[in-house]
Amino acid sequence: MSIETPELAYHERWERIKARFGSWGLTTYGILAFAFLYLPIVILILFSFNESRSVSKWTGFSLRWYGEMLKDDKIMISMWNSIFLAVVSTAIATVLGTLAALGLERYSFRGKTAVDSMFYLPVIIPDIAMAIMLLLFFNMSGIGFTPWKVSLFGVKLAVPYSVIIGHVAFNISFVAIVVRARLAQMDRTLEEAAQDLYANTWQTFRRVTLPMLMPGILGGALLAFTLSLDDFVITFFTSGAGFNTLPVRVFGMIKKGVTPKINALSTLMLAVSLSLVVISILLRTRSGDEESVQMGF
Amino acid sequence: MSEPFAVELRDVVKQFGDVVAVNHVSLRIRDGEFFSLLGPSGCGKTTTLRMIAGFEIPTHGEIYIHGERQGYRPPNKRPVNTVFQNYALFPHMTVAENIAFGMEMRKIPKDEIKRRVDEALAMVRLSGMANRRPKQLSGGQQQRVALARALVNRPEVLLLDEPLGALDLKLRKAMQIELKALQEEVGITFIYVTHDQEEALTMSDRIAVMNDGIVHQVGDPETIYEHPADRFVADFIGETNFIPVRVVSLAPEIVVELGTGQKVQAGWAEEGLAPGDKAVLSIRPEKMDLLEPKKKPQSPSQEMAYVPGVVTHLVYVGTDTRHTVRLGDGSEVVVRLQNIYVGEEPWEIGEQAVITWNAAHARILKE
Repeated sequence: MSIETPELAYHERWERIKARFGSWGLTTYGILAFAFLYLPIVILILFSFNESRSVSKWTGFSLRWYGEMLKDDKIMISMWNSIFLAVVSTAIATVLGTLAALGLERYSFRGKTAVDSMFYLPVIIPDIAMAIMLLLFFNMSGIGFTPWKVSLFGVKLAVPYSVIIGHVAFNISFVAIVVRARLAQMDRTLEEAAQDLYANTWQTFRRVTLPMLMPGILGGALLAFTLSLDDFVITFFTSGAGFNTLPVRVFGMIKKGVTPKINALSTLMLAVSLSLVVISILLRTRSGDEESVQMGF
Repeated sequence: MSEPFAVELRDVVKQFGDVVAVNHVSLRIRDGEFFSLLGPSGCGKTTTLRMIAGFEIPTHGEIYIHGERQGYRPPNKRPVNTVFQNYALFPHMTVAENIAFGMEMRKIPKDEIKRRVDEALAMVRLSGMANRRPKQLSGGQQQRVALARALVNRPEVLLLDEPLGALDLKLRKAMQIELKALQEEVGITFIYVTHDQEEALTMSDRIAVMNDGIVHQVGDPETIYEHPADRFVADFIGETNFIPVRVVSLAPEIVVELGTGQKVQAGWAEEGLAPGDKAVLSIRPEKMDLLEPKKKPQSPSQEMAYVPGVVTHLVYVGTDTRHTVRLGDGSEVVVRLQNIYVGEEPWEIGEQAVITWNAAHARILKE
């Protein structure tokens, strides 16, 4: 310290200022970025508990809008529609997507590259293009909008097959991509070890490949479920008249003006999506599988 | 011997596209033998092992296990088990579940599985670890689980693909001894793939030295080391000198001429050499001695060679010192002398010296 030259001292002071400003600036920037992302959500949640009809002026805490939401039959039907649609399309897409991933990763065949790139198509093309394609397909093929009539916990649902097929169509790709990433990471010698220990092809798949792939399959399924729950465009185009999922219902309600009921509904949907993500992360950290957590899903 | 061999390879070839990984290999591995496939990486030793296991099907030739032709038989139908290089333990199963896997697949009764798992764990000294996951074990412990998982099935032949490769030196040495003892105890034929010549020499009953898909020599460790069949084997196993020579005669005595014109005898010459051919004289550094020029005997015996040179380099390596000696024609020879002499003047760089060796240790190999 005592033998510092003046230039060095000046230089060092400047470096210190820069460092201090740098860390201060970065913190501010971080706070602003997060505020931009989450402030609207916070406001949405906040006003779902507002007492009055206003969505901009706070008058007091109340659960009134949650009550009204639960009493609204149209909303409840839409919710059941959404859940039923998400469960069914996720189940189908997960099986088909996993099989596709296995086929693409494990076997070579003519036109594999083409098939491979086609799997990315539903991920990258705009939803609206996909929706119009599906709409044309259902009209021309004569499948139309025939509903699948089911009764769920006493609620009668009529879910058009076309919507289910539409959701499966885009979800297969997401599942296939997620499962494939997992498959590519998997050590092939594990399967060889199983064969070496007298397991036949099916036993090898059942006892080794499938359990090893499970985090990927679950991740893919959760992603598909969330996407299906969330989808507006494809549902809107492929459902024909009279069928509403939650997003479609919310869209209809907004046209007649925003009420805190929509806030309550959105908060509920947010809570469901969030818990699904948390569950998926918990599932994977519990199995001690750090790579796939880092990979997101 | 009418008893069939544990494993027999008849003229086996394996091609991957244009690459010939294994080139007309024939091997006969005896029952209860510790047999090593030794060679540098890419020499075809692992491919050979994988063909015996059934993971690869030979392009040409046949593999027999205890006299039975294997053909296209898949790995799960072959009476062999493999210890993989990276162990390949199932991460989603416990140690006990890993070991039980093979027996479960073969529908062995539950109580017998339980008993044999316990025995296997005791055998590899991991009795307390039954309920751990592979990730919670050290490398050496994982190695032993892999061994137990294979041996518990009492295979006719155990295949090991560089099983000690991932362990550190000290653990590797300990495992070598353990593995050899285990093999003697269970009496199962071991086929062991390694690129570590010292490992192969210390553990094996017999070794096949491979390079470029070809088996260069098969023999017990002493034969491989003392009597290498060709230049590759002499070079790959241990340290050796290759002194350029010209063949003078092959019978009744093998005589070669050094670059300096001096003629020396040798104990053995590779087949296919003829007088006049260029060749190399191969001799291990520890088979030679250095003499002061004045100590060279007046009437030397025929089987001893005395070659003068100058000491150019000394490297002290603890048990011995490596002396590099330059001969009259510029070729260099390394002589290892054990550091066992008390009160003797050590050699110095620049000193005149006479290298001496017994002709029986000199082998004439093709260049």
